[in-house]
Amino acid sequence: MWNQGGYSESSMAGGYTQSPGGFASPALSQGGEKKGRTRANQIIPCTVSQLMSASQADESFRVGDVDVAQVTIVGVIRSTDKSMTNIQYKVDDMTGAPMDVKQWVDTEDQSVDSTVLPPGTYVKVSGNLRSFQNHRSVVAFSVRPLEDMNEITSHMLEVVQAHMALSKPQTMSAAGGGMSSSAMPMSRPTMGGMDGNAGGYAGANDMTNNGLSANQNQVLCLIRSCPEPQGISIQELKKRLGSMSIAVIKQAVEFLSNEGHIFSTIDEDHYKSTDSDD
Amino acid sequence: MASLLDASKPRINCSMLSQHIGRGVCFVGRVEKVHPTGKTFSVSDGEGKSATVELNEPLEEELSGIVEVIGMVSSKGVITTTTYNILREDKGIPFDLELYNEALKVIHDFPQYYPFEVAASG
Repeated sequence: MWNQGGYSESSMAGGYTQSPGGFASPALSQGGEKKGRTRANQIIPCTVSQLMSASQADESFRVGDVDVAQVTIVGVIRSTDKSMTNIQYKVDDMTGAPMDVKQWVDTEDQSVDSTVLPPGTYVKVSGNLRSFQNHRSVVAFSVRPLEDMNEITSHMLEVVQAHMALSKPQTMSAAGGGMSSSAMPMSRPTMGGMDGNAGGYAGANDMTNNGLSANQNQVLCLIRSCPEPQGISIQELKKRLGSMSIAVIKQAVEFLSNEGHIFSTIDEDHYKSTDSDD
Repeated sequence: MASLLDASKPRINCSMLSQHIGRGVCFVGRVEKVHPTGKTFSVSDGEGKSATVELNEPLEEELSGIVEVIGMVSSKGVITTTTYNILREDKGIPFDLELYNEALKVIHDFPQYYPFEVAASG
């Protein structure tokens, strides 16, 4: 399901791909460029309700804490309207009234299919959120009919995951007692990654916001806060995490390293975070 | 009833029916039994529970597989249909209803990240 036409077409530079370190890193590492610059280098799965409620400052939109420019929505076509230069759809994803989606048609370009998709078709729309005279719409560069209806399910999950991962961290209730991180670490999105069991989703209260266990979060936080270029050593971690055994620390380090949150530096005992706090 | 489509239609399963009485909802389930009159049928959700769906007009087609029903929940927990859509599985890819049920739980656990209404924008 993951590889099926999902993100191969929306792989903008630094966009929502499964690169190590997660798609959140381009945003986080561009901390210095935040002001006065449109960060249109992420494509964010959204619901129509989020797009309609997004606050607007000049040309940029914000859903909660998340800047949105390029978005994807998944919904069913309710109506169509074709003109010489464009096709207008109303796409309904159940979160509100159907959203206006405009797709420009290049009449010269034979390779682009300008067949209008009929109402009742489930589609994935990729495009830019626009507001014109207070009217919100999506200008689409892709309107793709779904062949695998499980994409409806995956989009629902991706919306929650993306907005959660990109939002400012709330105090984590379950994670290792009163520790806060300054940015949201993110584990590679997998269906089974929501909790440790094979059996499915255990409920919001049973897991930390980022899919990491309490131990892993503590270890990751310490590694991230280390300013040394050679990173922090396992011995240092053991000193700071007196209650955790070396074995558990090493397990956590191995997991975090495999997930791409940390990397080894001068030797196998020293690690730095891929999302540094600087 | 057309205005129901212009509002939010929370995605629900059978256990959530009672919390949405009088509201428009979106119910995805597997068609179980179709009544001989074609005006009502039963659907099962990803947890195996069943609900009854009523139509305004009798069915004109054979209905089977996975269906997405949009309608209002009556006080008896019956869904009166505004419109329905068959989720096609003809590309050989079955729809995983159990997984959809898990996703339902997720979006209802995190309404702040999957809102079913349009909040006032800032």
